[in-house]
Amino acid sequence: MARFLLRSIISTFVTVLLVSIALFFLLEVGSGDITVKILGVFSTEEQRASYRAQLGLDAPPWQRYADWLIGNDWRAASYTGFPLVTEDNLQTGEAEWWADVNGELARWTMEDGELFMLTRQPDGSSNQEPAAADVWQIGENGEELFWGVDTKGNAVKWVRGAGEPVWVLTKAGLRQEGDGPRQYIPLRKGLVRLDPGKSLQTSRPVAVTLFPRVRNTLILAGVAFLVVMPLALLLGIIAGINEGKWIDRVISITSLGATATPEFVTGVFLILVFGIWLKWLPAVSVFLSSDAIFQDPKLIALPVLTLTAVELGYVARMTRASMVEVMDSAYIRTAIIKGMPYSRVVLRHAVRNALMAPITIIMLHVNWLIGGVVVVEVLFGFPGLGKYIYDAAIFGDFNAVEAAAMLTVTIAIATRLVGDLAYTFLNPRIRYA
Amino acid sequence: MSVVSSTANLRTNRPSRLQSWWSGVSIVFESRIATVGLAMVAFWFIVGIVSLFWTPYPPNANEFTQNLSPNSINILGTDHLGRDILSRLMTGTQVILLKTRLPGDAGIDIPGGVALWGVFFSLLVGAVLGLNAGYRGGWWDQSIMQVLDAMIAFPSIVLYLVIIAALGQGDLVVIVAIAVTGAPGVARLVRSLTLDIKTRDYIRAAETRGESVNFILFKEILPNARGPILVDAMLRVGYAIFAIGTLGFLGIGLPPPDPDWGNMVNEARRTIFVNQWAVVWPAVAIATLVIGLNLFADGLREELTRFQK
Repeated sequence: MARFLLRSIISTFVTVLLVSIALFFLLEVGSGDITVKILGVFSTEEQRASYRAQLGLDAPPWQRYADWLIGNDWRAASYTGFPLVTEDNLQTGEAEWWADVNGELARWTMEDGELFMLTRQPDGSSNQEPAAADVWQIGENGEELFWGVDTKGNAVKWVRGAGEPVWVLTKAGLRQEGDGPRQYIPLRKGLVRLDPGKSLQTSRPVAVTLFPRVRNTLILAGVAFLVVMPLALLLGIIAGINEGKWIDRVISITSLGATATPEFVTGVFLILVFGIWLKWLPAVSVFLSSDAIFQDPKLIALPVLTLTAVELGYVARMTRASMVEVMDSAYIRTAIIKGMPYSRVVLRHAVRNALMAPITIIMLHVNWLIGGVVVVEVLFGFPGLGKYIYDAAIFGDFNAVEAAAMLTVTIAIATRLVGDLAYTFLNPRIRYA
Repeated sequence: MSVVSSTANLRTNRPSRLQSWWSGVSIVFESRIATVGLAMVAFWFIVGIVSLFWTPYPPNANEFTQNLSPNSINILGTDHLGRDILSRLMTGTQVILLKTRLPGDAGIDIPGGVALWGVFFSLLVGAVLGLNAGYRGGWWDQSIMQVLDAMIAFPSIVLYLVIIAALGQGDLVVIVAIAVTGAPGVARLVRSLTLDIKTRDYIRAAETRGESVNFILFKEILPNARGPILVDAMLRVGYAIFAIGTLGFLGIGLPPPDPDWGNMVNEARRTIFVNQWAVVWPAVAIATLVIGLNLFADGLREELTRFQK
């Protein structure tokens, strides 16, 4: 058992690694120039090149992959010579990068060829003073250069007297500035330390924006799961023990119809009936605050109903098939011939065996649930993980897509592992040496 | 001499090619479920073929009043741009089942719809991987299964989104997406079949004859694993149509101008207050085609496994 466990855990790690490689190279290397999307189609080639450098996209792909996976603050720290630390911005609550210069947190900025050091004060503000002259180091070609941290969370290389013109993206558009750094390393802690970088669409850290979305989705999927499972298992068992009778026909045909109807169609009809004709439930999930889901549980009623309609048929069909098979088996026949009450045969002998297959298969089909969740969230405008992936994918925001996709893959793999293990515990016939 | 004549005798007694084909196909009609399923699928194929030559009105011409309910002129009504829904519904079959539009301005179509090509490529890739993993075993098996595990780990819709985010939109991209998401499932099925068939005596015989690995894989094992693979392929076409509908609904599926059922639902839901019929028809179309394929596959599987019990 221990060997089996070890093997499946190692295999899981390799799988996750392969997935991360595939995702990264497919999205970052395979997709086109993201700066066109961010800066607009009327941006010039020069502006795009400048912005690409600021995003660190001029680095070779393998290096960006390593940065993305395990972070680059340690690499940047070896350039700057100072330990790099994150400190929460007191106003936004989001982490900012600072260099730890002899116990003081510092960042730098260059104005008119002069380098200034910004020192962080205890109240969160910063104190600006000209940097000491001895920070400049002599580079290979005799130029004076300095590696520091800028105010946008990059480790950057300034060259004295040779500032690069850069295009800075502001809320009002692009602005050209002189005195820019020669090289940027956008600082990140890396995926394994739970920092997948900044969203290209909103420039906010992905980890910060992803969390409430995941919470919403977990609530949605959890409620749907609690509604679907007992109902589907019950219907499946009823259909299974009445194989061939009209009640089986009704349940089977209805569940086939429900499974074969795409979730967006089911959702649209439910909106039509409950949201528009009967006006019982809100037709879209508009979140006025991030806690709206707790204040007004009606918001998730229709999304849950839609998910239920789609999943119900699938699980019920599976349970039915399993139940039919068990009811056909010799030991059930023996129990009936023995004169045992029918209800006792079904409840004590058949159901326990029949539920094994559906329950483990349900664990393996979390992937499928996630698929349904994406469509339902897009349909209802529900701010969850699925809509997050969708919006990010449409924009081409690969940092966000990668993070969210890695999360879904991890969830899927983890539940599969749990499903595998549960199966070995539930089924005494399977033992791994 | 007598040996030769006896084999010649056997030859003449063998059924003709048409007869053996028919005996293979007629299995479908022994199951009522499979027949019903086949009829539903055949209906949409015929509708698609008819739409190649004739539709009541041009599918993209907005020549009627918008959002009409079904009436004598527009049998299924019109959509939010005043286009005839029946014509669009008929033409919508083409991109799924009958034609694939190649990129470029030339507007070249190749026969075979996006769903069919997608499933074909997932079968191709899946069969090659599964046969090799199952027959060769050892490191081949380990590494192929590891890669497949990684592919299966993706929720398929996330994989679609990732592929479309990376490669853009188009018929070929959708085919790639369907093939990539389908291949691991096919490979697992083929592998398990191969593991079973590998132990048979005729494989031993082929190995003893010194046949090459490729001969054994594709001439000995694959034809004998045909039945379950075909049933699986039917189900996969259903999933593919489902997926195309979903992508169309999300607005990232098959590109215009050809109508696409999923996209028709997506457009019509915006005017659902005024006209509910425009949502109903494409939804019914997707559902019936998918149910038809499901029934066909279920019935076929029942017939094929009847004698194995």
